[in-house]
Amino acid sequence: MAKVATSAELRVASQRRWSERAIPISIQIGAWVSFVILLLPVAVVVLAGLNSGDYLTFPPEGLSLRWVIAFLTSPAWMGAYGFSMALALVTMVISTVLGTAAAIVLSRYRFRGRDMLRAYFLSPLILPGVVLGLALYVFYVVTDIGLAKSMTGLVIGHVLVTCPYVIGTVSAALVAFDVSLEEAARSLGASPWTAFRRITVPNISAGVAAGATFAFIVSFGQFDVSLFLSTPNLTPLPIALYVSLRYTFEPTAAAAGIFAIILVVVSMLITSRLVSLRKFGGIKFS
Amino acid sequence: MNTMDLTSSPYQNSFGRSVRVFLGGSRVFWLILPAFAFFLIFFFVPVLSLFLISLDKPVAGVVEPQWSFTATNFIRFFTRDTYYGAALRSIEMATLVALITLVLGYPLAFMIARTENPGRNTFYMILVLCAMQLDMVIRLYGLMVLLGDNGLINRALLDAGWIEEPLPLMYNFSGVVIGLVQFSLPLMVLSLIGVIRSINPSLEEAARSLGATRRAAFWRIIVPLSMPGILAGSLLVFAISISSYVVPALMGGWKVIVMPIHIYQQIAELGKWQFGAAIAVVLFATSVLAVVVYQRYAAITAGGRT
Repeated sequence: MAKVATSAELRVASQRRWSERAIPISIQIGAWVSFVILLLPVAVVVLAGLNSGDYLTFPPEGLSLRWVIAFLTSPAWMGAYGFSMALALVTMVISTVLGTAAAIVLSRYRFRGRDMLRAYFLSPLILPGVVLGLALYVFYVVTDIGLAKSMTGLVIGHVLVTCPYVIGTVSAALVAFDVSLEEAARSLGASPWTAFRRITVPNISAGVAAGATFAFIVSFGQFDVSLFLSTPNLTPLPIALYVSLRYTFEPTAAAAGIFAIILVVVSMLITSRLVSLRKFGGIKFS
Repeated sequence: MNTMDLTSSPYQNSFGRSVRVFLGGSRVFWLILPAFAFFLIFFFVPVLSLFLISLDKPVAGVVEPQWSFTATNFIRFFTRDTYYGAALRSIEMATLVALITLVLGYPLAFMIARTENPGRNTFYMILVLCAMQLDMVIRLYGLMVLLGDNGLINRALLDAGWIEEPLPLMYNFSGVVIGLVQFSLPLMVLSLIGVIRSINPSLEEAARSLGATRRAAFWRIIVPLSMPGILAGSLLVFAISISSYVVPALMGGWKVIVMPIHIYQQIAELGKWQFGAAIAVVLFATSVLAVVVYQRYAAITAGGRT
């Protein structure tokens, strides 16, 4: 049955190989359906926030900044937005410092129990956020050291859920960094600290910045952990939005959503400049 | 001993060495201490205390541990159908959500993994990551405007004359499932992309050159080889769906009572701390059980290429 391929058959084969690279149309359709599911609710929020009427209809009655202005002039909404911003910034700084320090040890040293220690730092991701918030709330109430109903108490919860992201991103940057560069600096007479500061830090700074951005945005959008820890005086934006959706359902909430969407898009654009998103994968449990 | 000794002998693994490292052989090692202490004090101690409280006898309004070690709360949970029914409903719901997100997420992950143009690829990734990072409550606002009785979808269908009555798209079980699918789809996609990208294209080419159709090559080569990603993604989606409070609360309109809602009600409304803690323990145990099941199956399907 063996036969020699003619040049025409070879051309057909090479054409087929080229077309193999194209993605089948059925998969493309499926992919765009998923994109619509992911992005349609976001588009609806933007439209509802810029709509001139009280209810969103399709097509919209007209564009106006009515709800945006209502958001910008409402002390309650601006307070929640500002509080979330402050909470996310404080969380980001603490998480980045703690997480970077831990990541340096976890990825530069080999010692017994390292994998267990890594799992130790990832464990807040496995615990449901509501349970973590509840555990912290009970802990604050029982120990009675002034953390219950305080911003510090909220920051602690947010650091616990954002730190694993910093550790992951910084570890990835450290693994990609060639240790021999630091060794070269040492052999040329630099002290360990100088070599670290002048060689390693500049090389991993993009990873650290990406981890910090992630910590900021995870904290800014955090609902579950804040549920038990927030009070009427300390209301982050997600909790304020939840209360509004439960009871009033006003378009001002959509206007607040627009500002949160802008923040997330900007953060992701910054992240994509800092690290290659191609390498980005899900969080690993095992 | 200085830092370079440690990094230049990376495969040394003796216990004595790690103890020496731990006790100050290297000053750099102490960098891990703040994070370690922080997690110990504010994560492990509170979580273990919560587990302890779940074993206390139920006294309304009392938070302090009583060290009474009784299974009353758990017996109550597993003998009243309101509670174990909620657990079963949570599991059923999370399983359904995992299946739907898999079917929806796979084509998207496949398209992103096979898009070679770096600009397009980054653009797709930014879209998925933005959708994931955006606060779920904001996305729920959009979903509620779309799915309500007076929402955009029902209005469009009524105006077109295709339906007489608004379809019950939310404030019921299916509404919660739709919300959770929207919530967890990005995580499924991210779990699948890496695995699909790592499949060697020559395996598919080999199947094709041996006469398989594209469809057959896809179902018999690509899909089985993406099994580790399918399992990891399904587990993640299961775990975050079962622990979500805000999606069932808003999309279910208090008609779909799942475990996180029971926890909140027991504690914030009834002051039953011990029983609320017990439900939290059951919720956590369910997530852990999913991880254990996953690891058993992952070992089988990975076929040695972990």
